[in-house]
Amino acid sequence: MTIAAQPGGGNSARPQPSGLADVIDTILDKGLVLDAYVRVSLIGIELLTIDARVVIASVDTYLRFAEAVNRLDISQEKEGLPGLLGDMEESGAKHKTKGALEAAGDKLREFADSQSGEKQSVGRRSRGGEDN
Amino acid sequence: MTAETEDKQAGGGRTGVYVYGILPGDIEVEPGAPGVGDPPGEVRAVRYRDLTALVSDVDLDRPLGRAEDLVTHEELLDGSAADVPVLPLRFGAVLASDEAVTEELLGPHYDEFASALEQLEGRAEYVVKGRYIEHAILREILADNPQAAELGKQISGADPDATRDQRIQLGEIVNNAVEAMRQADTRAFGDAVEGKVAASAVRPPSHELDAVYAAFLVENDKAEALRKVVEQLSQEWQDRMELRLIGPLAAYDFVGSAAAAG
Repeated sequence: MTIAAQPGGGNSARPQPSGLADVIDTILDKGLVLDAYVRVSLIGIELLTIDARVVIASVDTYLRFAEAVNRLDISQEKEGLPGLLGDMEESGAKHKTKGALEAAGDKLREFADSQSGEKQSVGRRSRGGEDN
Repeated sequence: MTAETEDKQAGGGRTGVYVYGILPGDIEVEPGAPGVGDPPGEVRAVRYRDLTALVSDVDLDRPLGRAEDLVTHEELLDGSAADVPVLPLRFGAVLASDEAVTEELLGPHYDEFASALEQLEGRAEYVVKGRYIEHAILREILADNPQAAELGKQISGADPDATRDQRIQLGEIVNNAVEAMRQADTRAFGDAVEGKVAASAVRPPSHELDAVYAAFLVENDKAEALRKVVEQLSQEWQDRMELRLIGPLAAYDFVGSAAAAG
């Protein structure tokens, strides 16, 4: 049984990882690794691995946080307006929380697209033995 | 782009055997399941004593690593992980032939793989992923840290270039505060699931707003208890973070990444 516990009890039962972002950390960074001399080398795999890593705590990160504080300040000043603004702010925040992970996924997708030459959707596919 | 066209024209004569993972010998592979690659090879089993390697043929002259390939790799393994123990290979493991799979992978590492599968029997991996809600934790940090609040005032509405130093200083304070929060919340989560998990592995954050990010090895009959804890905490913490439980997964974090390199 798989669940995705969402805040607020909105339990949209999402089985398995919910997409590329959840997959990247796991299968590019974990799991058994073959001996280099046994392995047949593949085009682009090393590049994928590097792309999937996200650098943390750089000056860029600091500046981004500062900008987020700055935006926060503005939204606080306007907090007199009830209702509507609160909603807007929330949806804005949702956007922001879509961060580097998805970005890494996008990058990966770009890379994948540039290699395959066609747009592919990250569609879920049924695997063997799955009853739909 | 030219290289790609040439690839296509070359037609890809060389093929390799892509290995997804290693499972016990008594499993059956449904015929027709598509593997990685374009066009995808059919997933099949290579068997050695009581081990099964899930494999499919891949064209070595075509780059691998489309989003679909990654998702296929994971879904194939995770689809089995709820029922049988699975030793997952990292994405991109290709050997020369079926013989190479038995002679260079399964044979030399037989004891290791067999005992790892035994230890994974009746268990699966779950990943807990929490992401802070940025505006909420920033308010928390500004309220707790007078220096951050003061810097926030200084940069407010000011020319970004003129206040670059203050911005970096503020950002660093925030970053450190988030890191401290992450550690505290990860500890709190670990305490909450104690007794419900057989093993745990904290993953390095993959995003600066990552709150809790850890993998757990869980007995199948305790998965429900873990789910309840996550549900409860996600409600308790809903103002500060979004918490998700992902699984069951193959035990990626508990196979020892160098096991096959011995």
